[in-house]
Amino acid sequence: MSADLSVRNPNNSPLLMADALLRASGGMVVSLLVAPLTTDSTDAGQVGVNAPNFQQLPLSPATFRKIRVAMQDDQLSQYELLISASAVQQQVSALQLASADALFDTAAGVEINGTQFVIESRSVSEALGQVYLYRLFVREAHAWLQPVL
Amino acid sequence: MENAKDTFYITLRNRLAVLNPQRVIILRGLQRPGILVEEAEAVVPQMPADAFVLRWTGLAVDAQLPSALAEMTCEVHYTTGGTQTNGGLDRGRALAEMDAELLSILSPNCAQKMNYTQTPTTAMETQVFWTEPQFQPMVTLRERLTRVAKLTVFAFEEQGEL
Repeated sequence: MSADLSVRNPNNSPLLMADALLRASGGMVVSLLVAPLTTDSTDAGQVGVNAPNFQQLPLSPATFRKIRVAMQDDQLSQYELLISASAVQQQVSALQLASADALFDTAAGVEINGTQFVIESRSVSEALGQVYLYRLFVREAHAWLQPVL
Repeated sequence: MENAKDTFYITLRNRLAVLNPQRVIILRGLQRPGILVEEAEAVVPQMPADAFVLRWTGLAVDAQLPSALAEMTCEVHYTTGGTQTNGGLDRGRALAEMDAELLSILSPNCAQKMNYTQTPTTAMETQVFWTEPQFQPMVTLRERLTRVAKLTVFAFEEQGEL
């Protein structure tokens, strides 16, 4: 049994291909809700009185699809959100974060077509150690009260 | 009732900041003492480690008194995996440290009720007081040790209060 010692230099082709596929299959813009630039250090901000004023970080291209249909009353629909790794990397650099994990860890949710979703879990797809796609499992935040207009 | 819950949290937070300034978390871009109210923060798949998480559960109201007395059950959840320096082998010690810190910040077991919805914050007429914590058995899940301490918080409802 011999080891595969062939040289394979990583390049951007998986990233470019993922972006092209995401654009071809919808290419929508979604917004990640993260902490605002001006943080609220007041007591009221920590007990749920003040609005959190989350910052919306646009991520594109992305595709969004339903992966489980709600068949029972207590079963929530689950959705899958595929996001380009290049878009995530841009935001990680812009916010001077250590990693994409740090970005998603601080996220309170994601807004898609004006509706807010809660992130349930996430995973990545990678080739030769290079992440080219982020996959988020999200569900609708049904319980949130909408402001009366 | 919300004023009592807010007062309880802020009291414990301020005491923790004095007792152990090293126990901090970063939440919504802000570094603060390592204690939070679960229902006032974003939904997360897993509780943060090395921080106290307050979860409000039970509620009873004694309306037979001159002022209604609210009895609210508070669960304090905390979990730790020890330190990276010690490869997690000190997780038992880390949990014991959190046990001691919780016991310490809960004493004295009363505080002046405050209204944090107003600016500036105003002191109210009555006090918030609470029982001794009942420590539940430790739960081990992989590298994490978790404990819940339950206690009851009492507060008289004042005129015009939520």
